[in-house]
Amino acid sequence: MLFFLTINKNGIVSYFPHLERDKQGSDVSLLTTPLPLAVIEEIQDQLHRRKLLDMWNFGKNKNTKLEIIRLLNDICGDTLHFSWEQIQANTLSHQGRFEEEVKDEIGVRFNQIVLGRQISIRDFRGLARELKILEERVIELAHRNVVQGKAQWVPSVKQHGRGWQCQRCGQEDVEEWPSLYGTAATCRGCQSIGVSTSLDVLYRDQRLLIESPREVIFLPHWDLTEAQRLASVQVLNYIQEASEGRALLWAACGAGKTEVCFPSAAWALKQGKSVLFAAPRQDVIYDIMPRLKRDFPKYPLQVLTGESSVKFQSGGLVLATTHQVLRFWRAFDIIFMDEMDAFPYQGSKALDWGLEHALRQGGKILYLTATPSPEGLKLVKQGKMRLIQLPARHHRKPLPIPVWLKSAYSLEPNCNGCTEEVVLQIRTLRREGPVLVFVPKISWVGSWIKSLRQYFPDWKVDGSYSSDLGRAQKIKRLIRGEFDLFVSTTILERGVTLPGIQVVVLGADHSIFDERALVQMAGRVGRTQECPGGGVIYISKQISPAMKTAVRWIKDQNRRAMELGLLDQQEGRRNLERSQRSL
Amino acid sequence: MKDLRGVSSEFLRSLWYKNEPVCVLCSEGDGPICPICTENYLHPELGRCLGCGKLIPIDLLQCQDCEAGKGPKQLDKVVAWGHYYGGLKEFIQNVKFNAHPNYIGQIIKPFSEWAISQLPAVDGVVAVPMHATKLGERGFNQAEVIASALHWELGLPILQGVKRIETRVSQVLLSRKERLQNLRGVFAVPNPEDYSGRSVWLVDDVTTTGATLEAVAEVLRGSGVRTIYGLCLAAGREKKLVPSSE
Ligand SMILES: [Zn+2]
Ligand SMILES: [Zn+2]
Ligand SMILES: [Zn+2]
Repeated sequence: MLFFLTINKNGIVSYFPHLERDKQGSDVSLLTTPLPLAVIEEIQDQLHRRKLLDMWNFGKNKNTKLEIIRLLNDICGDTLHFSWEQIQANTLSHQGRFEEEVKDEIGVRFNQIVLGRQISIRDFRGLARELKILEERVIELAHRNVVQGKAQWVPSVKQHGRGWQCQRCGQEDVEEWPSLYGTAATCRGCQSIGVSTSLDVLYRDQRLLIESPREVIFLPHWDLTEAQRLASVQVLNYIQEASEGRALLWAACGAGKTEVCFPSAAWALKQGKSVLFAAPRQDVIYDIMPRLKRDFPKYPLQVLTGESSVKFQSGGLVLATTHQVLRFWRAFDIIFMDEMDAFPYQGSKALDWGLEHALRQGGKILYLTATPSPEGLKLVKQGKMRLIQLPARHHRKPLPIPVWLKSAYSLEPNCNGCTEEVVLQIRTLRREGPVLVFVPKISWVGSWIKSLRQYFPDWKVDGSYSSDLGRAQKIKRLIRGEFDLFVSTTILERGVTLPGIQVVVLGADHSIFDERALVQMAGRVGRTQECPGGGVIYISKQISPAMKTAVRWIKDQNRRAMELGLLDQQEGRRNLERSQRSL
Repeated sequence: MKDLRGVSSEFLRSLWYKNEPVCVLCSEGDGPICPICTENYLHPELGRCLGCGKLIPIDLLQCQDCEAGKGPKQLDKVVAWGHYYGGLKEFIQNVKFNAHPNYIGQIIKPFSEWAISQLPAVDGVVAVPMHATKLGERGFNQAEVIASALHWELGLPILQGVKRIETRVSQVLLSRKERLQNLRGVFAVPNPEDYSGRSVWLVDDVTTTGATLEAVAEVLRGSGVRTIYGLCLAAGREKKLVPSSE
């Protein structure tokens, strides 16, 4: 979107969006060629610097209009022809018109929706459609907020030192191209939610997400376990009092970490604070949504998923994928970031930047994970991040500890890895429940299914991988317990709960399996009340450092749970004995 | 012209335009455009229809449509660099639909050299404007990017001021006649005095029937433009030339 540059009698340079001319004010000179905001800001900046210089030179009075044309020719490289026009006096003054409060229904609705948002022009187009008004009207309402100091226009991609920076995702690695206004730049970091270029703008609303505290009814439909209650108290304490801006909730797989945050969310909402639950993936969002709706009846919940379309809702409680978080600006007092170590959030600078900038100054982020990243653990060690632990599952049984089976052969397909010993172990596991066999690569899936079918002709053996077209169907059958043996790549690593499942990891020393993947795979076992135990076997030629770390993490969780009295006594002792025999 | 222009344009060019070691269109042969792609897509052996820019046999002046009086009337000449097909089509679509305006930089050198060999020098370049809605989706107007690149490469001034008033049905699915109808009243020039007596290159990425170029040319004529040359990256090819389609 382009803006018209104006200068008033006092030489103040200002701008307004593309609107019908007769509605504009009086006594200003208008540059007839509209410009990108980035160019106007550059001019304002240069004029300001020159003014300071002129003061040193005892105020040589320069012609600002000429000065601006000269600057423009510099910036745009003589591409365009510029001219000035004097705007005649009009009944409504330009400023006056924008300073009025909006009172009509649409205007009020608009202002409820945009609170705390960061909105692109493309998003505004969607909003115009939703409100059934013209795009110009939406832009006018937005600009009114800018004039009133409630919001800001910023170039979507901005010159930053000697380079560029996307103002939506922080990306500095942009693509440059020739434009009418000199070199322009496009960001590729956040293109999945629409283009971001230096010729375009973002609207940043600077108001709080909630205008006034409203009634919060918090009706938890579950009892926290002892382990959850302890963690929950620590979370609340952190939210209410701690000085650290960041904390890490390190939970055992399947310990119910999300619910632990609900009491704190309720407290914060009652204080009139805004709360975001974020997660990298849509399936996690749809898993949390019904629980939030059930426990916070009547409180409006904004749910934002999907990469490109934007739904406009309002309210102080938001549930969003990390991509959607880029559509907020300094809006939240509290952010609960679930599954922080999952794709695509893990390692994405853009999403991390987005999360940091969705937080209000002085706000707090609690990262939730079963498998923290090395960077996260480093911050804990340095004392920059508070650590809260949730080491036990609701059934008060310890996490199953992986056992190592050394294989004399490589487990790659066609290397004789399917030995009598491997078959015997799988047969033993099957007595406890269906067996899930993880392999590091897609190319292993088919040949292992074939080998295992030969050994277990009476069993139902199948498998899947991420690009398998029949995947969804097979996973449904797997959840129903229709397979004896299921071979899979790490697609099943998270999220899915399979009652009674037993786990084998083939080629556990493969470089694709880091400690986090190994913990997550082991974490599939023993998640339900009915089947709280089970076996996990890592099969490989060597023990990798990741395998060692994974087992240490699991043992640490169990030990801590024991110390806190969160495990049933007998189980705890048996677990300790067992852990002496494992890795 | 200012002396400075040569310097600044050289400097800015170095920012966008790397030397392309491999062919931009096939990523295999020598860059920027390899001999095979030149043969397959640029067809130096073929002529261009004077009326609409379409690729035609070298011994003809006009395509059949233009011959029959169904082509654009307001343009003095139209030329297209290559055939909208294969590697060149993919390249243009990649620029537009995958938002890679920077790729224009990779072909601007050979394209601008070709353009000055085909068209007389003019007072300025006019880009076919794009409607604000589409511009918002895409983030840039590819015709404007080509015009800007021509400006940097050749020093030709850019003439602005043609406006696109509203979006009509997308041109793609319409017949030639419908296309011309569809574009009536879409373009306007608010300040005709900027254009009076000028000569221009009217630039777009692709032309098929010439309807868009014609609609812009019509308002340029109305504003007193003396000479209008159409210039595009790609155009269709006279059907008769392709044996398989008969
Ligand atoms: Zn970005
Ligand atoms: Zn080639
Ligand atoms: Zn023709």
